[in-house]
Amino acid sequence: MTFTEKQTDPTAPTHWRGNMQADYLYPNGVAGDKFFKHLKNNDNFLATVCPDCEKIFFPPRLYCEDCFVEIPGENWIEVPATGTVRLFTTATINAHGKKMETSKTIGLIDIDKTDGAMLGIIKSSEMDKDLLGLKVKAILRPREQREGTIKDILYFEEI
Amino acid sequence: MEQKKDEKVTYPKYAPGTHVSTSDIYQKNITYSWWEPEVQYAWSLGPAYSRFLEGLKEGKILGIHCHKCKRVIVPPRSFCEYCYGPTDGWIELPDTGIIETYSVSYLDPDANRIEEPILIGVIDIDGADEHHGFMHYFGEMSKDEIKIGMKVKAVWKPEDEREGSITDIKYFKPLRGGE
Amino acid sequence: MKKDVAVIGGGMTIFRRRLKETGKELSFLAAKMAMEDAGIQKDDIDMIVMGTAPDAFDGIHMKGENLLDGAAGAGKPYVRVFNGGGTGVFAPIAGWWHVASGVADVCLVVAEEKMGSCYPHPQTAFQHIWDPVLDRPLHPNLVWLFAMEMNRYMTVHGIKKEDIARVAVKNKRNAVGHPCAQLADPNITVDDVLNSEMMAWPVQRLDISPPSDGAAALLFCSEDVVRQYTDDPVWVGGVGWNIDSTMWTNRDLYFPRYVAHAAKMAYKMAGIVNPRKEIDFAEPYDPFDYKELHHMEGLLLCDKGEAPILTREGVTQRDGDMPICPSGGLLGVGNPIAATMGQKVCELYWQLAGKAGKRQIPTNPRVGVGQAWGDIMQMATVMVLKR
Repeated sequence: MTFTEKQTDPTAPTHWRGNMQADYLYPNGVAGDKFFKHLKNNDNFLATVCPDCEKIFFPPRLYCEDCFVEIPGENWIEVPATGTVRLFTTATINAHGKKMETSKTIGLIDIDKTDGAMLGIIKSSEMDKDLLGLKVKAILRPREQREGTIKDILYFEEI
Repeated sequence: MEQKKDEKVTYPKYAPGTHVSTSDIYQKNITYSWWEPEVQYAWSLGPAYSRFLEGLKEGKILGIHCHKCKRVIVPPRSFCEYCYGPTDGWIELPDTGIIETYSVSYLDPDANRIEEPILIGVIDIDGADEHHGFMHYFGEMSKDEIKIGMKVKAVWKPEDEREGSITDIKYFKPLRGGE
Repeated sequence: MKKDVAVIGGGMTIFRRRLKETGKELSFLAAKMAMEDAGIQKDDIDMIVMGTAPDAFDGIHMKGENLLDGAAGAGKPYVRVFNGGGTGVFAPIAGWWHVASGVADVCLVVAEEKMGSCYPHPQTAFQHIWDPVLDRPLHPNLVWLFAMEMNRYMTVHGIKKEDIARVAVKNKRNAVGHPCAQLADPNITVDDVLNSEMMAWPVQRLDISPPSDGAAALLFCSEDVVRQYTDDPVWVGGVGWNIDSTMWTNRDLYFPRYVAHAAKMAYKMAGIVNPRKEIDFAEPYDPFDYKELHHMEGLLLCDKGEAPILTREGVTQRDGDMPICPSGGLLGVGNPIAATMGQKVCELYWQLAGKAGKRQIPTNPRVGVGQAWGDIMQMATVMVLKR
């Protein structure tokens, strides 16, 4: 019976190799497009305020997921590109398991005047200290180099 | 909320969404993010496919028997998906069959257009159950000549070029009288 | 105790090759429309079903989780169901069992697909559905699969290409009355289809529905609460699904027997003994024109090989005896895989509720069947709605 057949020949083929090649173009969305277009020409962020529960979404959204209402155009507000480190970790090994030449600190940053947060690279003069609660500001690419993606935010720096 | 029949209103009542054209992308009228995933796989063959590929390297098409269903199956597998019992016994099948179905393709795998069409189809392999076979190319025949029911025979790569792959068969050619 | 289940609202976005909205935003727009249609709020919804097909189209792994907040799923019992092209009818089947089982009084079903994300073409992602060992080394294109099945179907029954092309003409013309349609064309002719670009014989460009972005939504509720929302409900009569062996080269592709199995399951539940007489109209899955015919036969609405004849005789036109794809189908409205729930089940609801406006079947239909199909020539999902 094949079910219980033993493969004893070590030269017999055991695997077939391949990949799953496909590239992706993700439109940033209605809210995302407005956010990134603003960021191309400004040094602050946009957020949206739910007309019902008044929660301030950052990154901004087209709708409130709790009240399930659309957020109208007049509920878009400008907020400073500053925030407070809520969580952080320091990576010394890359995605392939190799030791990195310089370590990288990534944090979750609560953005000021909003109820939202975002991931970012953190840079501080003293990286060894506890970064929780650190006040930071976003360092953006020079305006002429901004392309409308999350990479326009280079990192967050201690204020 | 009462639903009254209204001949004048067509549902859906409105049509939300924002169309983006190819030129909107090229001209950067919208912002977008780009990603190229890099993932490699090594799929386990299991004993049935492993033996089948070894057979191809030896220039043989191997089928397998389901004793309970009295079915000769190709491509082979470890279990019969209908009676859900183990398959039980290898059978060397002839490298001939009939065309079960086919297509004349002007598309390459990435949907690019090609001038010289690819003849592709399913071969119902002789000695296996009716409608049992696998997909492969056809050659040594024109797109006007190919038809369902045509008798065909495998054209193999030279022995030293075979590597244990479905492509050890180059294509199936017409089985003409006397062969 | 099994509950009777009613449909109380439907919604959908436009279908286009590429939409600016994210998948979440599309889900929101479709869900919001269904909720407005039924007159209910998020708090009234007990559970949510998301139907969305392969992750490889949107390019977001486990996209059910990604989409949930746009589908009103935040903080709710939420589940994604997925069986390839069958998802468009399987998602509402899952919505039905949430309510029929008694665990939910109101269940929202959202279906979403964003095929435009995949570059250079969604075909690239379709390559990965083939067997990696036996099929992919031959560098297949997905159109081959349909071309081979279509050829088998045509050859076994001796069907002429022009009788198949009539389906594309009918559906693209039917779609003229659909506000969300991608490929509606009031002037298309059989010659246009027969003269369109040859892709993989016998499949030509106008035999195929387009890849699309889009979303659709439906609201199901229990017999216990339906009177709060409507006096004239549309009911789920029956559901069925079935899948055949993945070894597609070991089956005769001329007849989709798995569709017949799924249809029999749904008809038994709906008490339908003679589908040809008792069913007033149908929305069979039509990603290719021949598939509509194949599926009419699978749904037992006619004999094997008879569907092209009925089409030629006009029986399947919107004002015929058995209207087929009055929405415009996938060929006319578009094919965002799972979101084709908009044509296959939302349309049944709109027709039965008398809300289809310009698309309304004139003969006051009372029973309709919708069907989707997918994977490698193997999956069928069927739903019967009735008034």
